[in-house]
Amino acid sequence: MNEPRSERVDIDAVLAEVRERIERKRASGVYGPEVEAALRLPLPGGRPLFVEDLGDPLPALRDAIEERVEYDPRSRKPVYGRLITLARQVAIGLVRWWIAAKDERQERIDRLTLRALLDLRDRPSPGFDERLRKLETEWARYRRDVVAADLHSVYFQARFGGDEPVIRAQSERFLDLFRGRKRVVDLGSGRGTFLQLMRDNGVGAYGVDLDERMIATARERGLEVVAGDAVEHLATLAEASVDGLYARHLAEHILPGELVRVLRECRRVLAPGSPIVFVTPNPRTLSVGAHTFWMDPGHVRPIPPDLFRFYLEVEGFEGVELVTFAPTEGTALSEDVGDEAMRSNVRLLNETLFGDRDYAVIGRTPSARAT
Amino acid sequence: MSVPKSWRFAGKPTAVHQFHPVLAPGDAMSNHVFALRARLREWGYASDAFAVEAKPGAPDVLSYRRLFRALRPTDMLLLHFSIGHEVFDQLAKIEARRVLVYHNVTPPEFFTGLNDHSAVHARLGLRQLAGLAPRVDLAVGVSEYDSHDLGEIGFTNVATVPILIDWSTYDVEPDASVLASMTSRRTRILFVGRISPNKRQDELIRMLAYYRACIDKEAQLFLVGSFRDQPQYHARCLALRDALGLQADVTFTGPVPVAGLVAYYARASVFCSLSEHEGFGVPLLEAMRLRLPVVAYDAAAVGETLDGGGILLPRKDVAEAAEVCAAVVEDAALRERLVAAGERRVRDFASDAVAERTREVLGL
Repeated sequence: MNEPRSERVDIDAVLAEVRERIERKRASGVYGPEVEAALRLPLPGGRPLFVEDLGDPLPALRDAIEERVEYDPRSRKPVYGRLITLARQVAIGLVRWWIAAKDERQERIDRLTLRALLDLRDRPSPGFDERLRKLETEWARYRRDVVAADLHSVYFQARFGGDEPVIRAQSERFLDLFRGRKRVVDLGSGRGTFLQLMRDNGVGAYGVDLDERMIATARERGLEVVAGDAVEHLATLAEASVDGLYARHLAEHILPGELVRVLRECRRVLAPGSPIVFVTPNPRTLSVGAHTFWMDPGHVRPIPPDLFRFYLEVEGFEGVELVTFAPTEGTALSEDVGDEAMRSNVRLLNETLFGDRDYAVIGRTPSARAT
Repeated sequence: MSVPKSWRFAGKPTAVHQFHPVLAPGDAMSNHVFALRARLREWGYASDAFAVEAKPGAPDVLSYRRLFRALRPTDMLLLHFSIGHEVFDQLAKIEARRVLVYHNVTPPEFFTGLNDHSAVHARLGLRQLAGLAPRVDLAVGVSEYDSHDLGEIGFTNVATVPILIDWSTYDVEPDASVLASMTSRRTRILFVGRISPNKRQDELIRMLAYYRACIDKEAQLFLVGSFRDQPQYHARCLALRDALGLQADVTFTGPVPVAGLVAYYARASVFCSLSEHEGFGVPLLEAMRLRLPVVAYDAAAVGETLDGGGILLPRKDVAEAAEVCAAVVEDAALRERLVAAGERRVRDFASDAVAERTREVLGL
């Protein structure tokens, strides 16, 4: 009755271990296509079990309709067998046309039912279809509205976008991280400021951007840019096919879940020991978090630096660090006060209200394990 | 659940009889009937087992026809129900204290297209069951799973009492010829139960294919149980075995007497069930009792019967099942813990305790 709890078997642990083992066997080819084929071998000698057909009923229904029902009237009983056979044949002969008529009607019902079901699968009922279309349209519009996607980014960039030389100067602080790299990807490459910087320093790099005008501008400068969505683009890349990743002002434009997906993909496509840099507005500076961040309607939500660091660490990046830069210029409270305590208070207030406007979170994919 | 009022005022029953359409030696349901009969007689009740068909070797079974003459209104009649039979409709009209003991009906879908005869009887069973609901005073499910079904069908006075197993019958010398026939190879996987599509022995054969390809190329599978009722499914399992080239490695033993059964449990390295429908699952308990670790897919009443006494597989994945069996076979510590957990669990089904519970529920 009072056996220790520790004696209980941790089934979840056993299952986790087992699943890992199966993955390893798949990877090493032990659990290959041949074994899989054996496991999927249908039960010979007839149709699949009905319980399995129920899992995929439409093809099974089609087969069932085509199936002919055989009946052998011959009896194998020793003495009366021939009599029974004869009686059966006579009975069948007498009701044949009745049975045939019923068969005929059943055949019609079966075929109509199958056709109706297939139609319903391929083309849901008009009412349902219309509601679905409406929902899809509304959802797409919501997704556009929530980031004011119709506000054209070139005009927006012209009015609110940063000064290119300034941005270039900010990017230079990451140059050393990427020096000597062969293929760095810049997600949301925009006009190509970072790509230009890379090219000027002999680093192989290309960009990905959604905006056709931005892409055109960058391409005019002779830079390599792929049109497309960042997550989708990463998904097309082979494992360890790039050796560095830079994304300026991208993370705040996507949902947290999408950001985690991006990070996960980054882990996959980056070669071991590759640097990864995300630059995003710094909401710890209140004038940014409360005001300027929202100047771009495309911003989904600010990301606190510590949260971003956590995302990277959880997704397995190493040596994660935070760097803030781009101090607020012009606006500040005067620190020219006599009282020392007051001066330090004002300084703290200045940092909190008018501190660095951007920050970068930097990490590396783990280097190849020495074995 | 409560003992019906009419019984209480009329006192104890004058006799307690049992009925099941078929009684055969060695099957779990019949063993239950015989074990219960012995207890009832011990408690001083006149008690007989009645059937439409008594298979050779079934001890002392009377024809159901005698029930119509012999039964008095103050007698209790336990109708064991696991499959439909025309006779139930007649028995339900006999004046007596009628109790339904429900062992669950295998859903007809398992037999459709494979064995029309079984499908028809399963369907009949489900129909009859609904008809019996207003005609019995008390319904007993042998598991919570079965009792839940009874409630859904419309039975109102429902109790759960597990199957009564006379564990002393297992205290026999294991059959030496069976022991000798089982090789000393590393992995000997065992499943006990009628060869039947709901028990999915075909999946176990596929599992062995994985086991031999990916874990131990000498592993063997022993399928203990009668294949008389489902010849079509048995034939197709044999064909699958042959198609996978496992002729020498999958053994269909057919029905075996208890000494043989004990020997299989004693020599096997793991008990594995991929069954998709069990109303109770006596072999799970037998394995636990005879110190064989259990790995079982969680279907119908399996999880409830196992209840931590083995490893319950949450999803049907042949590769996963095989690897779990391998973990059990190869990890001695895990094996020991499972055996201990099984022994703990099987104590809940001690004959005396279950008999007491039966007595209490039936108001004897």
